[in-house]
Amino acid sequence: MRRHGGPVLLCLVGAAALRITLFGDLYLRYVQAALRPYLIASGIALILLGVTTAVLRSRTTDPDDEQGEDDEEGEGGHGDEGGHGHHHNHGPAGPRIAWLLTLPALALLLFPPPALGSYSAGREAAQRAAQGVGAFPALPAGNPVELTLAAFSSRAIYDSGRSLTGRTVRMTGFATHGSGGTWYLTRLMVTCCAADATTSKVEIRGEDAPPTGTWVTVTGTWHPKGGLGSDAAWPPVLDAGSAKTVRQPSDPYETR
Amino acid sequence: MHNQRTVGDGLRLLTRAVVHVVLGGTALLATATVVSFLGPTLALDLSTPPVAAWWTVFTAVAVQGVPFLLLGTVVSAAIGAFVPQRVLTRLLPRNQALAVPAAAAAGVVLPGCECASVPVASSLMRRGVAPAAALAFLLSAPAINPVVLVATSIAFPGQPRMVLARLLASLGTAVVMGWLWARFGRDDRLRPPRPTGDSRATGPRAFVTGLQHDFLHAGGFLVLGAAAAATFNIAVPRSVLDVFTGSAWTAVPLLALLAVVLCVCSEADAFVAASLSAFPATARLAFMVVGPMVDLKLIALQAGTFGKSFALRFSSATWLVALSSSVLVGWWLL
Repeated sequence: MRRHGGPVLLCLVGAAALRITLFGDLYLRYVQAALRPYLIASGIALILLGVTTAVLRSRTTDPDDEQGEDDEEGEGGHGDEGGHGHHHNHGPAGPRIAWLLTLPALALLLFPPPALGSYSAGREAAQRAAQGVGAFPALPAGNPVELTLAAFSSRAIYDSGRSLTGRTVRMTGFATHGSGGTWYLTRLMVTCCAADATTSKVEIRGEDAPPTGTWVTVTGTWHPKGGLGSDAAWPPVLDAGSAKTVRQPSDPYETR
Repeated sequence: MHNQRTVGDGLRLLTRAVVHVVLGGTALLATATVVSFLGPTLALDLSTPPVAAWWTVFTAVAVQGVPFLLLGTVVSAAIGAFVPQRVLTRLLPRNQALAVPAAAAAGVVLPGCECASVPVASSLMRRGVAPAAALAFLLSAPAINPVVLVATSIAFPGQPRMVLARLLASLGTAVVMGWLWARFGRDDRLRPPRPTGDSRATGPRAFVTGLQHDFLHAGGFLVLGAAAAATFNIAVPRSVLDVFTGSAWTAVPLLALLAVVLCVCSEADAFVAASLSAFPATARLAFMVVGPMVDLKLIALQAGTFGKSFALRFSSATWLVALSSSVLVGWWLL
């Protein structure tokens, strides 16, 4: 096992990368959709690399391949040239610290962690997308018009053209609860990976609150509140016409 | 005679393969059985919200890091295996004072986040580039490459000064750190990046061994950094931030510290900085300048590559220089 540790680790990491990208949309829980081709390429490259090193290694143990034996000695860190072998515990299997890679790899292969949800949204003060007040481009046609929570919020707070007025919008998110019986439609937005998730939320009026964390699609109209770009305008409010429980979308986050 | 030997070798290889497959298969089967029995109980433990969120952030940072780390190690192994030592030393000015800014500006060409730059810098040193120049490259590459600058301009629409300020402050920090290292740095502090196998070996074979070693080594430290980042992400409530938004004196160092613990990758940090709208512009600039140069994940990677004592000293010095340079540039431009 020690001998083949390196190749095994590489294949494990490669397999984990392929499992979350090729078989389903699991990777969307962790990173943005744009990373998929790179993850697939990395997965394939890592498995190829693992197989190549395994083959190279099994060749180098050939007794007449002196060069190969030297290589392994060098990696073993037995005070080779310069004698700076300290703290650098390398077996022939590769660096020992590399075994940490089994943690995320096995987690992804066996129990892929769930997408971030209401817990993270609740911990983090919802951020307002920082923008100046200005006129936004016209909303796309459609009745109701599908919007992301982030787009709705920035139009509600910063659009001097008031493009939301008179439009019926439909948005999907999960429910979170505020004080005094108010509830919010909430969604996390991810730019690169789940570590940079930020929260958007819209207060929903006129519909009963579903349990925290339930995914719902809400259709309704904008309820103007507060001055343009002011703190009082936030969070924006939607007068809901209907709220329908849905399954968690394959991409649990909004992207920019 | 020779024929006989190859046949013998083939047989031996075959036997070994069979033994491996049987042993591995049994082990895998055993693991699968145990896991399917224990799985539900474990999953229950995992499902408490904070623990689940920790795992998600932890795997997310690792997943996000893998392609970039691989890119970095491929470049680094390629430099190690295919670029003759003389080429690099000839490309850079011999005078260290000039080589540092040249190397820092060369950071523009490596499009990636910070995970990629550590192995590349290490292989540059291994190939005889002066440590001061390689370190300047290490700091500037993740901060000033075109992908990051474009992301910054998207995150701050209508504020080209923010992009310019980020470019100047990051470049300034990288150059100053390079010069500081050239003047005061002791190269013996810097554990010389170990040659992988035989440093004189070149060609495809050295490429494969170097790549395997570098990826595994850096990957282990990436996981360590991801664990630290996830822990802080879950443990530090964001509402703490609101206390400090008022005064620039506390806001700037606070966001500079936040950049260290959050470990947001350099392509995304502009969006996070933009969302911290309650903070003054200079503080947000400091967040974007410090983030790609000093964070927990990077400290872990550097400790693994160059040694722990180096990583701690270098990172704290870089943090101070990055902070001062963002304050200066912010005061001038923003």
